[in-house]
Amino acid sequence: MDNSLTNRRSFIKKMAMLSAMAAAATMFPGIMFASEQEEGLPKGKDLDWKKTPCRFCGVGCGVLVGIENGKAVAVKGDPKSPVNKGLCCVKGYHSVISIYGKDRLTHPWVKKNGKYVKTTMKEALDLIASKMQTTIKEHGKDSVSIYGSGQWTIPDGYVASKLFKGCIGTNNVEANARLCMASAVTGFMTSFGIDEPMGCYDDIDHANAFILWGNNMAEMHPVLFSRILDQRQKRGVKIIDFATRTTRTSMASDKSIIFKPQTDLAVANAICYEIINNGWVNKSFVEKHCNFKKGLTDMGYGLEDNYKFKDKPEGINFEEFKTFLEDYSPEKVEKLSGVSAKDIKYMAAYYGDPNVKVMSLWCMGPNQHTRGTWMNNLIYNIHLLTGKISTPGNSPFSLTGQPSACGTVREVGTLTHKLPHGVVMNKKHREHAAHIWDVPVENIPSKPTYHTVEMFRALDRGDIRFMWIQVTNPMVTMPKLKRYRDATKKEGRFIVVSDIYPTPTTDIADVILPSAMWIEREGMYGNSERRTQQFDQLIDPPGEAMSDTWQLVEVAKRLGFEKQFYYKEENHIEEIYNEYRRHHEGKKHNMAPYEVLKSQPGAQWPYVDGKSTKWRFNAEYDPACSNGKDFHFYGKPDGKAIIWQRPYEPAPEEPDNEYPFWLCTGRVIEHWHTGSMTRRIPVLHKAVPHAYVELNPEQAKQMQINTGDKVKLTSRRGSVVLPASVSERGVPVKNSVFVPFFDENLLINDITLDAFCPISKQPDYKKCAVKVEKV
Amino acid sequence: MKRLGIISLFVLLFIGFITIWHFSYKQGLEEAYVPIVKEESITLIPSEQGVFRRSEHALDYAKMPIDEKHQRSLDDYYDNRAFHGAPPSIPHEINGERNMGGISCLKCHENGGYVSKLSAYAPVTPHPEMVNCRQCHVPENTETLFRDSNFEKAPAPLAGINNALMGSPPVIPHQIQMRENCLSCHAGPSAPKEIRVSHPERINCRQCHVPNNKEVKDIGIFKRDNNE
Repeated sequence: MDNSLTNRRSFIKKMAMLSAMAAAATMFPGIMFASEQEEGLPKGKDLDWKKTPCRFCGVGCGVLVGIENGKAVAVKGDPKSPVNKGLCCVKGYHSVISIYGKDRLTHPWVKKNGKYVKTTMKEALDLIASKMQTTIKEHGKDSVSIYGSGQWTIPDGYVASKLFKGCIGTNNVEANARLCMASAVTGFMTSFGIDEPMGCYDDIDHANAFILWGNNMAEMHPVLFSRILDQRQKRGVKIIDFATRTTRTSMASDKSIIFKPQTDLAVANAICYEIINNGWVNKSFVEKHCNFKKGLTDMGYGLEDNYKFKDKPEGINFEEFKTFLEDYSPEKVEKLSGVSAKDIKYMAAYYGDPNVKVMSLWCMGPNQHTRGTWMNNLIYNIHLLTGKISTPGNSPFSLTGQPSACGTVREVGTLTHKLPHGVVMNKKHREHAAHIWDVPVENIPSKPTYHTVEMFRALDRGDIRFMWIQVTNPMVTMPKLKRYRDATKKEGRFIVVSDIYPTPTTDIADVILPSAMWIEREGMYGNSERRTQQFDQLIDPPGEAMSDTWQLVEVAKRLGFEKQFYYKEENHIEEIYNEYRRHHEGKKHNMAPYEVLKSQPGAQWPYVDGKSTKWRFNAEYDPACSNGKDFHFYGKPDGKAIIWQRPYEPAPEEPDNEYPFWLCTGRVIEHWHTGSMTRRIPVLHKAVPHAYVELNPEQAKQMQINTGDKVKLTSRRGSVVLPASVSERGVPVKNSVFVPFFDENLLINDITLDAFCPISKQPDYKKCAVKVEKV
Repeated sequence: MKRLGIISLFVLLFIGFITIWHFSYKQGLEEAYVPIVKEESITLIPSEQGVFRRSEHALDYAKMPIDEKHQRSLDDYYDNRAFHGAPPSIPHEINGERNMGGISCLKCHENGGYVSKLSAYAPVTPHPEMVNCRQCHVPENTETLFRDSNFEKAPAPLAGINNALMGSPPVIPHQIQMRENCLSCHAGPSAPKEIRVSHPERINCRQCHVPNNKEVKDIGIFKRDNNE
């Protein structure tokens, strides 16, 4: 008792002292004179902090890079950026170190008699131009191609599209975003008729429940996940992780629900079934703003060369849709998906309750899926049926993985069927592009050629003879990699690779061009929430390294297109951007002026009357709405969004007796993509030095496999030996394994399958069958 | 008359009954719905002003004896950072790779304390509200590198040279974003010895210590253009 009394006494004393000190502090302001004090300090020791979007993922955090004596030496989050509000992830904080790897490419290399010879930029560009000319002469326009990237800046992609589609006259333009975002695009196009999310990251500050569809957000979109965690601390929001394996996200969420691969299709339909059968449909919204349609089924999986598919949409009514859903009652889906009916009803109840604002988030799970377009449609179905869309907090949100998958590939349109505004199949769109590009409209072919997988198959067959690869590493990322690696080595193929470091892709190149990276040049990226962010050139590139934009401009000039490529070296980025903006003029997609981009951490299109648009299709926020109603889905001619009837169909290759395990591939927080940059950052490499295979702990015990033991994975395509990881970062369910794909020394894509979604042509890296043996 | 009055009363009652019955029947036909609750806006306080955080421990810090054997030095402090201001890596073994951090890290790093296994005091985090620790802090699982790097680690600010006048309070020579809470690094047994504050009880640190970093652009000298 004595003790507690003194404690209380001392506590009261402490409190009194503390409040006296706090009071004193407020009573005598201005005791110190800061400016006088600073005068005595040595000058010029401070860093110069310059704004740029982060080089890595599609979240598009604003970062400030500290420059000292012409070198980037430090990074911090930009507190002014509405994306990350001053926070970064471990990759962002250490991003500038990736510029300074000792083996940076500083000069071009040309392969002569099987050996690489150092050469000058001028000679290398001359060689590329002449090679393109002779290839076109011998094999036709469609024998030359460019394969770019969602890491292309906007000007890179724009000049590539202008050169190949407008000037040379071939639609052989593709980008690695085909492997990552194509299903998201076709999902938007089929459901809404216009690409990219209607909502924005601000939805996180309004939503009450977050449902993550196959999205390990704690590792892959950590800054946004931290924003959700922050909301949970402040407002008690709920996080539901719906996934095929237990990850950090599952551990952090309020509820983790595990489903069997491919059955997300059935579960999404079961949620719609519950919504309809419980009377949770927002009838007035559906009547005013939605149509119902169905498409073809049994589409196949694109495993064979020259595979073609065209969907035939057909209108249906609500009753037909309801009848279709009868096969997807939670009880029936439980057997197929392994998700209990109770859990399906639990998720449906969040979507159904009109007083709960729900944000659905997804990325590669539903996108890298042989029914990826369908999966995207199905998530939109849920939000459309309940009317939970385009309002703050009610948001189906498709995340991206690359800094400019949206800004460059989707908006500039560096895909075979796309133009900066519209598609090549549409005469008006071709005329619009040809007018701005200053080329005859006949130049732009009206037929799309090859999507990414087919483009590499065409290279293998010999239909394509010349390929220019920029800012990407397909010799690590292509599925069923061995076939495509062998293709590049065939006689009579000429491959140009622009990169900053030697990679497995530069290994197969005939010409290697050194590129200027990120802040070594001026450019802009566009992130997942339609935010375009500009960065200045902050440091000099090493040696002869040149921006991808200027490499293309130089070659275009050598091919005789000086008139179209009139840009001046000093301000070509601004000139290109101003030209590009003209394609998107109008309330639906207007881009912010360059001065605005330079002055602030990004602006969201449609940028109308000096204002970014946060929520599209909602008349309250979006000036492009013109039907006089509360919502206007103006991507479709009748202003209505489409609810699609999309069934469950099995995966092309499911585990059987011979290959009894599912193989899923993905990323880890430390490494980004193929690790060509992050592995050169010591902090990140030391954290995760190599790839591994995650096994289910119980099965590993049965097979007597411990962490670190060598395990051989074999599929119908080949085999790879990896160290095991048991009960570490992720725990797969029984009969499934997970392997991160960043490691160029342990190429998991040698054994993945090149099946793709017939509508989006995006391969499924998440599902194929393997066997597992201890070595 | 009387009869007429009774009849009209019953007629009125009947009409009343029909109207009420009709109304309630129509109501019954309408589907049940959940009324929409009008939303109240929530103002969130920005978390930037962390300077007074941990000040409830200020007096304890002031009274605490110094454990000279287990002090950290500023060199130790900068050693596991890629550059000064970078998030430190995790220098010790951890269990629970599947964990994003949170309570597993905070049980030692929220308030600190002596860890006999590592013969050291656990450093205190200045931002315990950010629970996805592993988003920025990663362990070291190997000593070797994938490729060598030319990245130059800029020299970190030194202690003891930041006073403008003799005896005047030193300015803050480092970035304070994410580290607005001074006491977490400058007080207590885990504070590096060179930068441990002699007066932790004076909790309004930025009353006397001002940041010295170029956050603002020079706008030139203001000149009056009237009269002269």
